[in-house]
Parts: sequence; structure tokens; C-alpha cells
Amino acid sequence: MQLTLTTLLGTKVDRIIYELIVPTVDGEIAIFPSHEPLVTLAKSGVIAIRNKKNDSNDKLEYLAITDGVVKISQKKVDLLVDEADYGRDISENEVKAALERALKMRDEAKDQVELDEAHQLVNRHTVRLRVAELHRRHRHN
Amino acid sequence: MASTQVLKSRIHSVKNTKQITKAMQLVSASKMRRAQDATKASGPYTQAACELLSSLSNYTSVEQHPFFVKRPVKRRLIVVIASDKGLAGAYNSNIFKAYIEQLKKDDKADIKNATIAIGRKMSQFVTRIEDSNVMGVYENLNDRPNQRKFKTILYSIIEMFEKGEIDAVDIIYTKFINSISQQPRVDRVLPAGFCKTKSENTSPDIRFEPSVKEVLDVVARRLIGAQVFQALLDARASEHSMRMIAMKNATDNASDLADDLTLAMNKARQGAITQELAEISGGVESLNA
Repeated sequence: MQLTLTTLLGTKVDRIIYELIVPTVDGEIAIFPSHEPLVTLAKSGVIAIRNKKNDSNDKLEYLAITDGVVKISQKKVDLLVDEADYGRDISENEVKAALERALKMRDEAKDQVELDEAHQLVNRHTVRLRVAELHRRHRHN
Repeated sequence: MASTQVLKSRIHSVKNTKQITKAMQLVSASKMRRAQDATKASGPYTQAACELLSSLSNYTSVEQHPFFVKRPVKRRLIVVIASDKGLAGAYNSNIFKAYIEQLKKDDKADIKNATIAIGRKMSQFVTRIEDSNVMGVYENLNDRPNQRKFKTILYSIIEMFEKGEIDAVDIIYTKFINSISQQPRVDRVLPAGFCKTKSENTSPDIRFEPSVKEVLDVVARRLIGAQVFQALLDARASEHSMRMIAMKNATDNASDLADDLTLAMNKARQGAITQELAEISGGVESLNA
């Protein structure tokens, strides 16, 4: 099936894949070819792509995504999110530093607005860190 | 005529300025190329959001969603995008002009307005205007859509519109057409325009989770976000482009000025030599007499 992952910074993925695992508001779903037609809301988290049927779990590709919309039709999956990053494009050290800053910001938040912003940042960097770690682990296998 | 020493120091100073403007021109050219590529990047996103809306319109009345419903405009929010730095030719003054025009229009139509200023130059400008109701000022925005400032702007616009505090949101920015041509534009963000596209093969038994209404709400928000983000990208590309042209003109002018000054200096030097020769030959003549 064709996967098109579109972000505000351009089309990130546009190719034939076998399986897509994506976090949604109703839990994580795995999408295979001929999945029933569905439009649902994607949650900020990690998506995994299996390119070919026989690919092992070690060959899964991981991306960190923000909230968005998933549209599944017969032979096509459209994923619309603000931002998406491949594990290989994320620097683990930079994300760790950013996460520490966000945690500090959360602890020192003076009002609800700052606290909400800090929570969002913590969530975002946690997801990015997970993707970077997954990428590193699988690269070494 | 100025002395050769004065002219020499002026030539030196003009050449130094030329080096600076040349460097700024090259920096702007490189930033413009990157910004220009970015302006094209969000096109597929808007297209995808419009396709989703078209699919949704088969199941619900998209036009009835609060973001798309037009109401009589009594209060309007104007989001104005200018730059943080100067030396970009007429970039900021064009935006200021467009903004003032909109304020005058509102005055005539008896519409109350509020402003969100983006960019240091804009914030300095709006604070100088009497009776301008400034709701927010944002400086130093980068070009990441997930950055805090962009989200804050977007959420506050949407919230004000939803609460009914404002009836319309317009954005004033410079549309990037190409590296030579940029135009100040006023675009309506809210109520949003419904961009109906050919909905391709939407299956009749498609399911929406959690519900059609919630999916529509998310897609509509994304469409508005994309429009604001696109305006920011366009503004950025236009700024770099206009700065590049302004700096190119400054470099050319500096070259012309340096040439003129060199000519004047050579003339002054030659004049001094001729005078000295005349004096020497005059002296010799008087000795021989």
C-alpha cells in the first residue's frame, strides 16, 4: 500500500510499504494492505514502518510524529501531521539536553500557560528521544 | 577641491561599507534560497487538508462548522508580519502602509480592531500608533511549525474567534512571488474558506473515529495553521529577497561612489603635481632672468 506522510515542512514519506503502526486517540493500530476505510486522529508518538512483508522487526523504520489525521483507503494511507522526524535525523544528545531544559521549565513554571507549554515540550522531546534510541538500537543489531 | 588625504580616507571608508553590504547580500541570497524552498514545502499539506475536508463534506456539512460560518464583522483581528531586522529596502514600510490602510478601512466601516504584531519592526511601529489595540507582540520566530510562538499565536487566534471576541481574522504579510517580485497581501484566515477539491474514490462505508465532528474540527484547525504558517514562510522569503536586492543596490552604489572619488582624487593629485611643476619652472625662470 502507498504511504504518504505529509508535514508542514513537506512530504516526508511517499512510497509503497507493507505495514504501518501508528498511535491514535483510541490506541495503537497496525495498518496492513486492504485495511477497512477509516479516518482517525493520530496522537503524538512513534510510528513504525515495515517496508516489506518479510522484513524482521529489526528493519522497522521509526519516525516521531506530532498530532494529526490518518486517512486509510483501500490501497493508500495518508498521514497528515505538523512535524515528523526520522530517528536518523535526530541527535540523541541534543534531544536529551532539550528534554532537560523542558523539565526544568516545567518545574519552574509560574502559571498554567507556561506549565502547558512545558508539558507539550516534555512530551515532544520524550517521543523524539525514544525514536532516536530505537534507531540507535536497531542500527547496532 | 578636497585634499587627496581626505579623499583617500573617504574611498577607504566607502570600500569598507561595500565589503559589508556585499557580505550581507551573499548571506541574504543563501537564506533566501532556503526560505524559497520552504515556501513550496507546505503546499502538499494544504492540499491534503483540503482533500480531507472534501471527503468529510460527503458526510457532514463542513460549511456549518464554526470556523467556516461567516458572521457580520464588528470586531476584527489583524495579524501583521514584518521583520526583526532592518536594511531590507521597502519591505517593512510596504507592510506598514498596508496596515494603516486596513486601520483606515475599519475606521470608515466602524469596525473595532485588534492587532497581533510579528517582528520587532512591527512591534515598534504599532506601539507608536495611538489607539492601536495590541493583543500580542512576537519577535524572533524561527521556521519550525512546532515552535512555541507559532502555536501560541495560532491557538490565541482560534480561541478568540471561537469565543466570539472577534468576527474575522486577517493576516497582512508579504507574498513571495519570485526573487524579484514580492507583494504585500491581506488574506482572510477566519472564517476559513472551504477549498473543495475532487474527492478521490472516497469509499461510501468509510468510518470516522472518534466521530465525524471531531475529525472535521482537527482538519479545520490544521488548515488554518497551514495558512498562517505559509504566510510566515512567504514573509521570511520576501524579507531575505528584498534585503538581497537592497544590499546589491548598496554594493553597486558604493562601487560607483568609490570610482567617482578615485577619479576626484586622481584629478586633485594631478592638479597638485601640475601646480608644483609650474612653481618649479617659474622659479627656474626667475633665477635665469
